[in-house]
Amino acid sequence: MSLQRCIEIFLKYLPSFLLGIRTTLVLSLAGTLIGLLLGLLVGGLKAIRIDENASSLLKFLKKLFNILATVYIEIFRGTPMMVQAVFIYYLVYMNIFPWDKFVAALFVISVNTGAYMSEIIRSGIQSVDRGQTEAARALGFTNMQTMFDVVLPQAVKNAFPAIGNEFIVNIKDSSVLMIISITELMFQSSSIAGTTYRFTETYFVTACVYLLLTMVTSVILHIVENRMSHTNTSIPQSDTDPANMKLARGK
Amino acid sequence: MAIIEVKDLRKSFGNLDVLCGISFEVEKGEVISVIGPSGSGKSTMLRCMNALETYDGGSIQILGQEVKTAPDINDLRKHVGMVFQQFNLFNHKNVLENCVMPQMKVLKKSRAEAVEEAMLQLGKVGLKEFAHAYPDTLSGGQKQRVAIARAICMHPDILLFDEPTSALDPEMVGEVLKTMEDLAKEGLTMVVVTHEMSFARDASNRVIFMADGLVVEEGTPEEIFGAPKQERTKAFLAKILR
Repeated sequence: MSLQRCIEIFLKYLPSFLLGIRTTLVLSLAGTLIGLLLGLLVGGLKAIRIDENASSLLKFLKKLFNILATVYIEIFRGTPMMVQAVFIYYLVYMNIFPWDKFVAALFVISVNTGAYMSEIIRSGIQSVDRGQTEAARALGFTNMQTMFDVVLPQAVKNAFPAIGNEFIVNIKDSSVLMIISITELMFQSSSIAGTTYRFTETYFVTACVYLLLTMVTSVILHIVENRMSHTNTSIPQSDTDPANMKLARGK
Repeated sequence: MAIIEVKDLRKSFGNLDVLCGISFEVEKGEVISVIGPSGSGKSTMLRCMNALETYDGGSIQILGQEVKTAPDINDLRKHVGMVFQQFNLFNHKNVLENCVMPQMKVLKKSRAEAVEEAMLQLGKVGLKEFAHAYPDTLSGGQKQRVAIARAICMHPDILLFDEPTSALDPEMVGEVLKTMEDLAKEGLTMVVVTHEMSFARDASNRVIFMADGLVVEEGTPEEIFGAPKQERTKAFLAKILR
């Protein structure tokens, strides 16, 4: 393997690589965002507590939802995304309607991410101090206002590193979607390798591109995280620690 | 007419009876201190008054409305503010927003009105210049004063305090008590669960001594601290006021 050949291949097949990069980024970003929405919905509903004196219908529905949500999460976390992709793609294609494979890929990556996000959001919600909910309720907030204006913003902030991590995982794991001929980076790479017969060089380029994508994403996520956390909600601070007395002194 | 009427209030957690028949009344403008040993049910009683806890028996009437059967509990909560031991400021919002958001969400005030009210109340607790600070940059005493301002912005008829100084460093207690005394002078109806005997003695109209889920004795601060009648009260005060 020579570095020179790698560069040659990269430059010669740049348009193909760029198409692959674009598809990979679109799939992983859209998949992460849709997955996050799914996670907010499923995780949020899972974390809501039903009053002891609620109607039995509501209690039943909540129990049913919890069971369905658990089944969903376990199935999608417990099987490989590659298997999910082929199975769901062909299941729908053969039995329901001939759908576009890109739509199928986006569906699979979103629903798969949603399963992980549900658990991330649920634990994020549980990490928010119960006092926050009590304060909101005592001020007269409705259950919905308490959830959306007080608990969820803090839950998402607490869970942000884990949410960002899902994005990085998706950049890499969207490669398995090549199984249904999505022209993402891995699919493009194997086409190029097949044309040039330079397997080592081509996949070395591929690895470098993936690494670059994940590293840049990681840096961006760090910047966003630091911007968000002008405050740290979880670490208790001592008033008598000189480091914390800067503002306290100014009274 | 009494603004709060508690009658034979009962509550248990499983086998543990926390409240075993509490009765008392609070008139408008009164400042009531509730004192007593830990585990006597003081906080639970207070939390029942704005439905943060449910109760098993008896009744609590606030402004003539039974808490348990209130058609809209959030409507009742508009009239009953609460200040917590752990402050419970919204950590993701700055001081000003902590005071503004509830007014806009619950009282449906415009932003301009809410900001004006918030700045007025923050001024009263002496924290106007911290309006844009985030809770975690404040000292405990400052946080609690913000929590009081946030509650007052809602113009409640009654303000409940659940051990407002218990989580504070000793040097911070004074500033919070001062703020509470100012409110008491303004004629706000207050029910204060506290271990601060100085506040109970100097700032309240009436003191309720609770032990083991019962009101053991109630009276003016002079009566309770000067000449307690019950042995249980005497024993408690002897321990506290060494």
